[in-house]
Amino acid sequence: MSQYYLFQDQKKCIGCMACVVACKSRQKLPRGPLPSLIVTVGPKWVGHLPRTAFTFMPCFHCENPWCVAACPTGAMFQRGEDGIVTVNPDLCVGCKTCISACPWGAPQWNPETGKAVKCDYCYDRVKAGLEPACVTVCPTRCLYFNTPEQIPEIRRERYARARAQDF
Amino acid sequence: MSPHTCSVKSLHEELRETLSTGDPVHPWCRQKASEIFDLVHDVSQGQAGEDHLDSILELAGHLTDQGPNTKCRELGQYVTGFVNRNHEEFLSHIRTHTCPTGHCPMLTPAPCQMACPAGIDVPSYVTLVGQGKYAEAISVIRRDNPFPWVCGLICTHPCEFMCVRGRMDSPIAIMDLKGFAAEKSMSARQYVNPEPLPENGRKVCVVGAGPGGLTAAYYLALRGYRVTVIEALPVPGGMMMVGIPRYRLPREVIDREVSMIESLGVDLRLNTRFGADVTLDSLRSEGHEAFLLAIGAHGSYKLMIPGEEEFKGVLPAVPFLRRVSLGDHRMPGRRVAVVGGGNVAMDAARTSLRLGCEEVHILYRRSHDQMPAHHEEVVEAEEEGVQFSYLTIPKEIQGENGKVTGIVCVRAELSEPDDSGRRRPVPVAGSEHVIPVDAVIPAIGQEVQSHGLEAFEQVDWTRRNTIRVHTVTMQTRQEGVFAVGDAVTGPATVVEAISGGKKAASAIHRYFEGIAQPTLPPVPVRRRRLAHFEAPAALKTDLQRPQMALLGNERRRITFQQVRLGLKDTQAHNESKRCLRCDICIRCGRCVEICRDKMGIEALCLGYIDFDNPGPTDLRITAERCIACGACATNCPTGAMQMTDQNGYRVLSLCGTVLNRLQLEYCEICGAVLGPARYHDYIMKRVRDISPEMSNRRVCLDCARTASGGRHAEIRPPREEKKS
Repeated sequence: MSQYYLFQDQKKCIGCMACVVACKSRQKLPRGPLPSLIVTVGPKWVGHLPRTAFTFMPCFHCENPWCVAACPTGAMFQRGEDGIVTVNPDLCVGCKTCISACPWGAPQWNPETGKAVKCDYCYDRVKAGLEPACVTVCPTRCLYFNTPEQIPEIRRERYARARAQDF
Repeated sequence: MSPHTCSVKSLHEELRETLSTGDPVHPWCRQKASEIFDLVHDVSQGQAGEDHLDSILELAGHLTDQGPNTKCRELGQYVTGFVNRNHEEFLSHIRTHTCPTGHCPMLTPAPCQMACPAGIDVPSYVTLVGQGKYAEAISVIRRDNPFPWVCGLICTHPCEFMCVRGRMDSPIAIMDLKGFAAEKSMSARQYVNPEPLPENGRKVCVVGAGPGGLTAAYYLALRGYRVTVIEALPVPGGMMMVGIPRYRLPREVIDREVSMIESLGVDLRLNTRFGADVTLDSLRSEGHEAFLLAIGAHGSYKLMIPGEEEFKGVLPAVPFLRRVSLGDHRMPGRRVAVVGGGNVAMDAARTSLRLGCEEVHILYRRSHDQMPAHHEEVVEAEEEGVQFSYLTIPKEIQGENGKVTGIVCVRAELSEPDDSGRRRPVPVAGSEHVIPVDAVIPAIGQEVQSHGLEAFEQVDWTRRNTIRVHTVTMQTRQEGVFAVGDAVTGPATVVEAISGGKKAASAIHRYFEGIAQPTLPPVPVRRRRLAHFEAPAALKTDLQRPQMALLGNERRRITFQQVRLGLKDTQAHNESKRCLRCDICIRCGRCVEICRDKMGIEALCLGYIDFDNPGPTDLRITAERCIACGACATNCPTGAMQMTDQNGYRVLSLCGTVLNRLQLEYCEICGAVLGPARYHDYIMKRVRDISPEMSNRRVCLDCARTASGGRHAEIRPPREEKKS
């Protein structure tokens, strides 16, 4: 698990895809690869109302990443200093094993370079004291990037409030 | 590959480097620089037109003139200077689609094409023959060589020597395929001339109707020049006609190809000797403004031994072959000794046999392996009954009553290799012996007979008595006078004369137009970029070079009928399928390196691609090991290695050779294509330690993501939970 955590407050998200675009734009990607993606769930009828959820799907930066194990060239690796999982394009030969190994479809195929690309939590921006591109552009401020202990406990609070109403 | 670096590629790399470091920063400059990069990329990929170069210079000019900062202006100046310095090489990339250094992968020529003196686009015509498009094949060949039929029968085929397939088993029968295509298209009346440009009214005179002179005449006539060819002999074709015996090259073949050239309006004057029947002044007064000397090398070297001048019955090979070609079929003697080990010696010996000589000896001073004659020629001569005496040096010709009675020889042994690596024959003391013969045919070399050309006063001659020319333009020291063929090179091959003729034609055109002559040697032109055949690896491996049917030996010894009977249709088509298409696969070895060193799979066993250390090749092993990951195809710079999904299978092919074919699996949810099971197994094996129980479900990337997104969706408010 990386030492960072990217939390999405789904209540606020309006599915505008600004995060998706910013991500592609930062990595200068052509048509096709989406290192981060908003998965639209629904609309479903909830009571008398149609409701839709937007789930932000970047990479989870697993503690024991499948993609790193699957990569035969050592191009996919976990950074020692912060646990971020990323690709070294100089080593990647484009065998796509990382893509097939990931149960969540996080690594993506860049047809222009013939190499894998993925969410790297914009570690270069983070190092420079900035937030990842997706977080920066989010108009609803539903994305939070920080160490896990600094992430606001929104869900917990919300859950507690909801439970309280039940009684 | 040549140590010379390609200027196009180096500018391409420099610009890529500059742009990747973030320079130039100014958006306007960056846009212009990127546009320049794209144009240079096109040039390097063979996708550029003539105006690309102007556009590059224009954009660089914008940077120089309007650049908002010094860095930008410097970049503009740099590009302008670089392109102007290497203008010829850039233009050559655009026009020929060939990068002789091999640094531009898409433009790297095949070794066979590089080896051909005429630069014929071999892979393209070999492919066309395989498709049954014989006339198209001939038109591809004739862009570079107006004598495909002649060369299809008697070329020395240096292309086959360089053929990459030769490192696997045996080279492609390139020459035979050319002869096959020529015969087929001639027979179908589809062997036609291209449309010449309208006449431009300028006249050129070619002296000598051999392969060099006629080739120049052909390309000049196509450009609209009026060409006069004068020929001293009563027949056209030069050495093709009077040097090469008809059992190798039937007269009809030369006649047909020469008449094709004549039909372009070339004025062919036979029995016209320069200096006797016509003079420089008479030709000039007819309006000829440029001259091409293509007089060949019809003189013979002498043996320089006693008795050579004294006795009747000593007849050098060149006049002997000429005499026979012109119809004098008297045999030179009952017992004949031919001195020499080259192709001319073989021709003289085999011709003597056919004229009825009872015994024909070839006397050669070195050993069998050092004979310059072609292996097939030697074998055929042996089959026909020519007797070979190796390590035999003629010392004296004996005679009685003015006639040859024998040749005194000494045996020799080979010395240790000298500084040049050549082993010299050293006479063995006391080994004199007499071979009784009544005719001696020296075939030890030819020289140019320069008399008659004194009118060209400024033409410079070399010490070897050949005409000195500029090797790129074939121009002599005298303005407007060019020279090609054996007269320049000394005795050489038909295809070298053709190469010279083609170079001279373009140089003469430039001379008339006042265009600067090139400084770089000509580069072969990629005429076509044809798709390859699809063939299973087993077929590609198993096909063998065809054995051409030969005329029966009994008939060979008594007649001048053509010995080699040509390929059959199926032989030719299969031979075409054996071609490895080196115009597409440039044998850079990236696929093998990735499969072996990066992936650790070692599925590609392509030993032939390493020129210096060729290893074993097994095209079939790939199907046993390959997991169809596609990394080789992804990294192939020319698209030779391809991975495609066809009818439920993932297919890996190299220039059409199907190396692997695995059944595809599909996503259980959406039906999208997944990889084959072997690929899945490979990944499972690698991730087993992390997740031993990882599901064997086959789900595509998109569905996996969507499903995961759905699991994380917070769509139900707590109230909803309570209801359910």
